[in-house]
Amino acid sequence: MSILQVQNLKARYAQTGDDILKGISFNVAEGDFYAIIGPSGAGKSTLIRCINRLVEPSEGSVSLFGQELTRLSARELRKTRRHIGMIFQEFNLVNRMSVMDNVLSGRLGYVGTTRSLFKLFPRSDIQRALELLDRVSLIDHVDKRADQLSGGQRQRVGIARALMQDPQLLLLDEPTASLDPKISRDVMQLIRDTARDLGIPVLCNIHDVALAKEFCNRILGLQSGRMMFDGKTADLADSDLERIYELEVL
Amino acid sequence: MTHLVSLQAELERSRRRRQWVQLLMLALVLVTVLGSIQVIIIEDTDWDRVGSFGQIMESVGRFMALDLSLIPHLGIPMLETFLMACLGTLLGLFFSLPVAWFGALNVTPSKRILYPFGRFLMTLSRSIHEMVWALIFVAAVGLGALPGILAIAMRSVGFISKITAEAIENIDPKPVEAIRAVGGNNFQVMYYGILPQIKTVVLGTIIFEWDINIRRSAIMGLVGAGGLGLTFFRQMAMYNYGGVTVVILAILSLILLGEILSHYTRKAIV
Repeated sequence: MSILQVQNLKARYAQTGDDILKGISFNVAEGDFYAIIGPSGAGKSTLIRCINRLVEPSEGSVSLFGQELTRLSARELRKTRRHIGMIFQEFNLVNRMSVMDNVLSGRLGYVGTTRSLFKLFPRSDIQRALELLDRVSLIDHVDKRADQLSGGQRQRVGIARALMQDPQLLLLDEPTASLDPKISRDVMQLIRDTARDLGIPVLCNIHDVALAKEFCNRILGLQSGRMMFDGKTADLADSDLERIYELEVL
Repeated sequence: MTHLVSLQAELERSRRRRQWVQLLMLALVLVTVLGSIQVIIIEDTDWDRVGSFGQIMESVGRFMALDLSLIPHLGIPMLETFLMACLGTLLGLFFSLPVAWFGALNVTPSKRILYPFGRFLMTLSRSIHEMVWALIFVAAVGLGALPGILAIAMRSVGFISKITAEAIENIDPKPVEAIRAVGGNNFQVMYYGILPQIKTVVLGTIIFEWDINIRRSAIMGLVGAGGLGLTFFRQMAMYNYGGVTVVILAILSLILLGEILSHYTRKAIV
């Protein structure tokens, strides 16, 4: 069953009017770990941000569980975003806040304004945050400030925050680009195992083809806004990779 | 060889030229200073009233004869001055928040109308002197501490909101994106994404402004807006020079107190 359907998605720069995405279509099904690969500037980040409308697509359709996202009002969009977890290249934590508060901020879509003013998260949320911090092996760092952690630890806070949302879909924007190779594999492994346990499909931008091949079951190849490949990882041939990356110059 | 000689001559010429320019500048400054002294001091002063050196020292001496009987009456005005500064700063902060929100380019609700409006309010607040604000509020709400508090608040808005707006413009946008992505509303984006990033800057600014506001509230009484300034004004009106000095010492000690308090609170925060 397909969970996320993207059809003929287009996006353009507000200022120059140049197209970044030139009609992208794909489906993410249950249990998928979908990689988007491609050279820098291919539109990977834009594509992933069009799903939860951090970037507004100019044309096309994005539907999650049959609900069309491109036409939602601001209020409905916030409600839908609660179910889409996002993990970022540079973690995007609030450095001056504690690890616990960063993880709890994943619940902000669920708690009201007044509650969030006093950081009054329900007991069940705090319980859940502790469970997740345990799962990502950060239970000893709960009270530390986010900027006291190492890169790998920070990304695990980012993962816990995304999981805190009880997401039905995970979006990953280059989750390993700020990490060293060993930690990168650990983080990818953690995400894959957790997603499998919780049954959440993943859509992941990644420029490291080896990592993509190792962890993802489907691959979408992007080159300057066009789809060059869409299929099972096993079907990705070297010639496909060459086509995807042919325009890349140093 | 000839090349070297000509180079040397060139250097010598430019050095002499620089010396001439310097001399000319010095002469210009000297003429300006002397001219000013002639016009605004020698010609403008009523020399007959200045009196002899002895008379001057006598006048200064009158200020030195401290009127210690005034001290018991200073407690309330000192407290009033202190509270006027505190409340004025708090109220100023309260007004500053919307102004900073309007005047920060990356969060302003409307770039075309509210942004310039916010910037205008910042400038307005600072370009009107605190005494003028006080005069306006004395006329509007009458004598006492209230116009002083309002005047200090209005004068504080400019600085606090400007620094706050600049801090907001300099934040890291990445956490903001994350809060948006989890479905946070605009308030939550500000409270969780922006506020933690600007907190220390804003708190430091508030302490600094509070420190300045103690000085400001000490003179508010000169236009009838309460506090030590009013006591000062009364002593002056009674030609009680010893009392004037005691009030000045009271102001000095209050400012020292503010200096010490702000030093330690700043240390505690940063």
